[in-house]
Amino acid sequence: MDREVSAKLEVLFKTKLNSAMRMYLETCARCGVCVKACHVYNSMPETKYTAVGRAEVVRKLFRAYFKLEGKIAPWLGETVKLDDVTVDELYDAAFSCTGCRRCVTYCPFGIDTQMIMAIAKALVIGADKAPAVLSILSDMSIAKGESIAETAVAYEEAIRNLESDVKALWAEPWKPGAPFIPIGVKGADVLYVALSGAHSIVSAAAIMNAAKENWSLSYFEAVNFGAFLGDAAKAQAIAKRITDEAVRLGVKEVAIVECGTAFRFMKYMTGRHPFKVSAFVELIDRYVRGGQIKLDDGKIDGTVTYHDPCQIARNGGVFEEPRNVIAHLTKNYVELKPSREDNWCCGGGGGLISMGELDFRMKSSRVKADQLRSSGAKVVTTACENCHSQLVDLNEHYGLGMRVEFLSHIVAKALMA
Amino acid sequence: MQADAVAAASNAAEAGVSAAADAVSAASADVPLTAFGIVLSKIEYFVTVPMVYLAILFFAAAAVYKIVSIFSAPAPGYAPTLYPLKKRPMMAAMSDAFAMPQVRKHAPVFWVFLMVYHVAFILLILGHLDILPSINIVDPESKHMLGAGAVGVGVTLPMFYFIIRRFSGEVRRISTPADYLLLFLLLFLFLLGDMISWGNSWTAHGFVMTKADFSLYFDGLVRFTFDDPRKVLPGSHFHFVVLHVLLANVFFIVLPFSKVMHVFLSLPINILRRKPWTAK
Repeated sequence: MDREVSAKLEVLFKTKLNSAMRMYLETCARCGVCVKACHVYNSMPETKYTAVGRAEVVRKLFRAYFKLEGKIAPWLGETVKLDDVTVDELYDAAFSCTGCRRCVTYCPFGIDTQMIMAIAKALVIGADKAPAVLSILSDMSIAKGESIAETAVAYEEAIRNLESDVKALWAEPWKPGAPFIPIGVKGADVLYVALSGAHSIVSAAAIMNAAKENWSLSYFEAVNFGAFLGDAAKAQAIAKRITDEAVRLGVKEVAIVECGTAFRFMKYMTGRHPFKVSAFVELIDRYVRGGQIKLDDGKIDGTVTYHDPCQIARNGGVFEEPRNVIAHLTKNYVELKPSREDNWCCGGGGGLISMGELDFRMKSSRVKADQLRSSGAKVVTTACENCHSQLVDLNEHYGLGMRVEFLSHIVAKALMA
Repeated sequence: MQADAVAAASNAAEAGVSAAADAVSAASADVPLTAFGIVLSKIEYFVTVPMVYLAILFFAAAAVYKIVSIFSAPAPGYAPTLYPLKKRPMMAAMSDAFAMPQVRKHAPVFWVFLMVYHVAFILLILGHLDILPSINIVDPESKHMLGAGAVGVGVTLPMFYFIIRRFSGEVRRISTPADYLLLFLLLFLFLLGDMISWGNSWTAHGFVMTKADFSLYFDGLVRFTFDDPRKVLPGSHFHFVVLHVLLANVFFIVLPFSKVMHVFLSLPINILRRKPWTAK
């Protein structure tokens, strides 16, 4: 790495030093309490997979470039320089971290390793070593936002083709004469932001139609590859496509598909909006509590458990809603141990699913497989696309013999008149 | 009040005369000094008087600079809140900072030592303030300082545990040289403190130096008399006092650059994870 690049990275590092980050980098006592927090470390016990081990890669740079200690006694904090070796270490630290923030529940200070990893990701991007697949997917999302007119017609046509599937789940549109999948509706109460796959649209459409919700489908997919990549500008650009659409249509609420990162980013990281942001599972819960939909509680065979997606539960505050919905679907529910804010991450977040990384994802999530197996459940439900994909892979890899279901899918199948 | 304290100190000093005589050494004021002794006494004076002011001044300036630079940095674009939210977020943050429930849950033995250490450290600060003639938590005529040695043991024993833990398993692998040096600095600081607060009563004649003796030294410091503490702290134990003060000075100087800044940052950093998010 030449001096020009390392100087550029130093400037980039400095831009990330907000007040919280400064405290996170200054305060760690290296007490080691967080060591046992990470699912990766618990599955593959290497120091570099501990929360503190990941953060120390960034801290060693912080000491070197921004602390007096690094200038006069670099050996005290084992400082490192911004070079190719360090960038590789930053890559390993950042892209083996799913950003689940389970370590925050262990740390006596509440140090946020995910936020520290944002520096690692920014430096990796600055050194032009970011995962190509996440960069390409981010750029594609942004390009779609810039040229929506060119793709809108084809998208609407594809959506029309899904209507029969929606009708098979619930025979009525939300109001007589309305399309089964309304799209681009001005004045809709709810803008539902799906993913590119039909599976993220059909069940949700049936549920909202059954609830007689005045809703509209977004032209954009919710997933934020910019957030996975750690590129703040791209992440905001991707989110802005949706917020602009929501403002243009004048909706009261934006409901995010079962995708943890998309929900958390839109709700907590894009500033104040003239609309409410909800996870789709919150809508389902509202419909159930309000009597807008009724569910058949005898449709699921076997014990059911629920995997709390990290970005929706621990990092998003949605705990009770899915449990209330499941209580209307089955009498045979069992909690995972640990659960709720202590739940093990599935091991697929932080862009790992999009990057492939099957071998690493399976090895690093052995504790998750053990947790699922010991629950004794036959069905594991969740409310996140990444979690679902990862749980399907774990189920197959570890021979768990479970069924993995999106919560919205089992709700749609259990809808009663 | 001050006159009382000085009188009490001189009474106590009289009581300790024979002990001090027993403990007489080359450092005693009554023995002619060699050239080395003169240099040593100048160094010891520097350590126990001017350096104390310099160290505390440096600590205050550097700590204030660091805290101001942290809080004047831009706020993060989002709140790193952890859910579920607590009913009383500020109380939860204070509980996190002062009771460390996360450590209690995940490392209970470590937590016991941490709690003993931190409570004892607070008492240690009070015990040092109590040496000032104007503050009398413990009777000024008492030979003992606050806790009669137990406070010192309260910080020293956990320090042994922290060191053993630091050298063990994964904690060793995440440690930097600064972590070890800080622990050893504190260990020797505390051991010397134990020697001059508790161990100095282990002579055949009881106390060599008492709380009243130390109060004369502290009184000189707070009144900026620049008097040589050798005059009020007789006996060979004075060298231990000098070493103790030297390590305390070093601790003050390195504190703003060390992880001990968590003393000031623990509460605000915990507020970050407990504070409910509001969009801006």
